Formats: sequence, C-alpha cells, structure tokens
Amino acid sequence: MIQSVHRAALILKELGSSRRLGVTELGERLGLAKATVFGLLRALEAEQLVERDDEAGKYRLGPAMLQLGNAFLDNHELRARSLLWAESLANRVEEAVRVGVLNGRRVLIVHHVFRPDNSVQILEVGASIPWHACALGKAMAAYLGAERRSELLEEDLARLTGKTVCDPAVLERELDQVARRGVALEDQEAIVGEAEIAATVFNHAGAPVGAIGVAGPVERLLGDGPSPHVVAAVRETARSLSREMGAGRLSARAR
Amino acid sequence: MRDRRPEGVAGATARDGEASLGAAFVLQWVNELACRVRDQRDYLTQLDAAIGDADHGINLDRGLTAAVAKVEGMGDEAPGTILEAVGTALTFTVGGAAGPLYGSGFRDLGKALGSKERFGPEDLLVALRAGLEAIQKLGAASVGDKTIVDAFVPALAAFERGLRAGEDLPAAATRAREAAEEGMRATVPLQARKGRASYLGPRSMGHQDPGATSTALLFSALEQAAGSANGLAGERP
Repeated sequence: MIQSVHRAALILKELGSSRRLGVTELGERLGLAKATVFGLLRALEAEQLVERDDEAGKYRLGPAMLQLGNAFLDNHELRARSLLWAESLANRVEEAVRVGVLNGRRVLIVHHVFRPDNSVQILEVGASIPWHACALGKAMAAYLGAERRSELLEEDLARLTGKTVCDPAVLERELDQVARRGVALEDQEAIVGEAEIAATVFNHAGAPVGAIGVAGPVERLLGDGPSPHVVAAVRETARSLSREMGAGRLSARAR
Repeated sequence: MRDRRPEGVAGATARDGEASLGAAFVLQWVNELACRVRDQRDYLTQLDAAIGDADHGINLDRGLTAAVAKVEGMGDEAPGTILEAVGTALTFTVGGAAGPLYGSGFRDLGKALGSKERFGPEDLLVALRAGLEAIQKLGAASVGDKTIVDAFVPALAAFERGLRAGEDLPAAATRAREAAEEGMRATVPLQARKGRASYLGPRSMGHQDPGATSTALLFSALEQAAGSANGLAGERP
C-alpha cells in the first residue's frame, strides 16, 4: 500500500535525524500505533534498511542505507562529471572545493574536495545549507526563472550568522549582481570566518544545474576584495564543467 | 584614578573600593587563560576533531600566545585598552570561527571598560555583557545551538546573581566558572545548529562543544585572577 511506503519513508527520515529511536518514540513522533510502527520496522529490518541496537532494543538506520546513499552519489551526473574538475581547482587555488545542487530551498553538497594541506577536515558531502546563506545557492538562484526565484526569496530566510542576508530586497539585488559578475560571493553568511566564491554550472538547455565553489578562510578569499586568482579559476572551471554537462558556449551565458 | 596603589597590591573585595581592579588584573586574566588553553590544547583539538576542523586548541593557543606577547608590556595602559589589544591579536592570529568570535568579544569587553584606569565588579559585569553581545551579533547563536554562547550566557547570569546577592568578586567569579562548566557539559547531547558542526546533523550529538569548553576556561581564568587579586588585598591591612 502506498500509505505504508509513505510511513516507512517517514520512519527512515526520523531515524536519519536522531540516531536511534525506540518503537514507542517513533509511534509518538509519527502519530502511529505501536503495532503499525513495529510492523514497518520489521519489514525495513529484513531489507537491512534499519537495524536494531541490541543493548537498548532501539532502531537505527541500517547498512543498506550506505549503499543507497553511495548509489545516489555515483548516479549523480553533475557530481560524476565534476570529480576531476574539482580536484584540479582545489590544487590550483590550494583551498577546499564544493559542488552543490539546489534541493528545495537548500543546497545539497554532492562533492567536496579537501583543502590540499593534509589538515583534518570534515567531509561536507550530504550537508544541506539554506540557499541564501551560501555562494553555491546564490550562484544557482541568480539564473533561475523569475517565478522560481521569487519563490526562493519568499519566506524562511533563516539567520545563520550575523552576516546572513535575510532581506529579500537586498538578496535580489545581490542575485542581479551575481548574474553580472559571473560569480557569487559568500562572506561569513553560513559560518563565521568562512567564505566561498562560486560559479554556476549550466546544462544543455542553459538552465542552472548546480554550482562549484572554492571555500576557505574569509581573510584568504575575500581579504582585500575577492581574490582575482580564485575568481578566475572558479569561473573557468564552471565554464568547462558546463560544457561537459552539454551547455553550448552561448548557454553558459554571461548575460 | 583616586587610587594609585601599585597594581597587584590593590585588591578586589566587595567592601573596599568599588573600583579596585586595574591593568594587573586583566593581564593576569589573559595570562591565566593562555596557560589553561596551552595545557588543554590537545584536549580542545581532540574535541574539535569530532565535530570540526581539529584546530581549535592549536589556533587558540597560537592566538593567545600572540596576544600575551602583545600586551606584556602594557601594564601602564588602561585595562580596556589592553583587552582591546587582546581582541585585535586574536582576530588576526586565531583564524576559523574562534578568531573573529573571541576577537570581537575581547574587543567589545575592552571598549566597554573604556579608558578608565580602575574598575569594579559591576563594570566587569557590564563589560562581559558587551563581550557576549559582540559574540552573539557575529554568530547569531542562542543557548542550545552548541556554541560558546552555551557556556557564556549561564556564566554571565551566575556572575550577576552573585553580585546582586552581595557576594564579593571572587565568589561571584567562582559561580560564573561553575555555571560555564555546567553549560559546557550540557552541550554534549545537543545537535549543533551553528557552524560546520551543524553540517553533521545528528552526528554532532554526544560530543562536547570545543567553543563552550574554551569559554569555560575563560571563566576559570577569571576566577583565578579574581581570587588572587582578593588574596593579595587580604594580606594588606
């Protein structure tokens, strides 16, 4: 039944956002009877999509989820095509590189190359960042149609730091500027001390399918204005990646 | 400036001067903080490795070493000027999020003390509040987001309660340190809502926040400085 698929999906999402939960807790969160939740969990457990924590008898996501997650990444065309480009961009500018796609009102990071300095860094693949707080999101929003763009500008512009731009009018002006400049900037709008310079990736139809950006300490990327070296490298990489995604020379537009 | 007793001898008790703290007190505070961060450097870095870039201890240690070197010879300057200099040094040497956050915190703390040569516990309260406001302005974090703020807010509230209850500076500073440590420990089960740790989602749960931990050290250093200011005063009739 479709309803049970929906409920099973809700269970997976709950487990994905809170480590481990018991049958009763899950039932309360989803407003479902304990027996219903238990039945769904049994079915999911048989497919290794969830597993039971032996000690507490609670449930958590299972190993099959990792395979599905990896399969999603492997099948992601932009990610697959960006692997080499991102690597060489990171080496060229000696900073971290991220590739993201727009997923609703948030940017989903689908690829992340560490800053090539052997330091400990956190893999940000899978991170989901409000579109208006990051350069990747602004790079994509700048080239969306008027309707989708105003949808994004409406409501729910959360403040992540003191520098997050939450005023739709200011953001809209910034998006126009992104389209003129060909790069989007992020000045500590998602994380204090962190900046990003990103450019849009287009597909064969000239639509924005993602963005690629260089992320790093604000003093290195935006110290005395945006680093020209990084801006040039990001623009070039996004253009090459767009061509690989099927965009013609004209559709990677600098309108 | 009515009180020109040599620094370090001038003490801090609730009953004697309302304005008994000076340059020596803030210098000791910063020194004590630098020592604690150095001692705990690996621990802070280890905490950060779980939910951040594993550089909190190293960065803060580097920044405080630079700050101490910068203000060492500033014993004749106003306490506010010294703290502002600490803030500037941290902003430029720490990096990451901690640099701007602690940097602006110390800078506004110093600004709030202004050019006064001596100040009292009430001035310190006002200045600490200004420091917290600077941190919150920059980071937009509230209690429960798993940040510096989780230790700072309860510490400040406890310090104020202590003073309102008529306690002297050392006692109020002890309360502040205890509240900061409690706030720090309370970050363990939280899911981070600010900073890179928030990208980890539920994976950030079960780890103590490194920023809240270094803020607890800030208040432990304050307690130490307040205690010795008082102790020295006690030796003098």
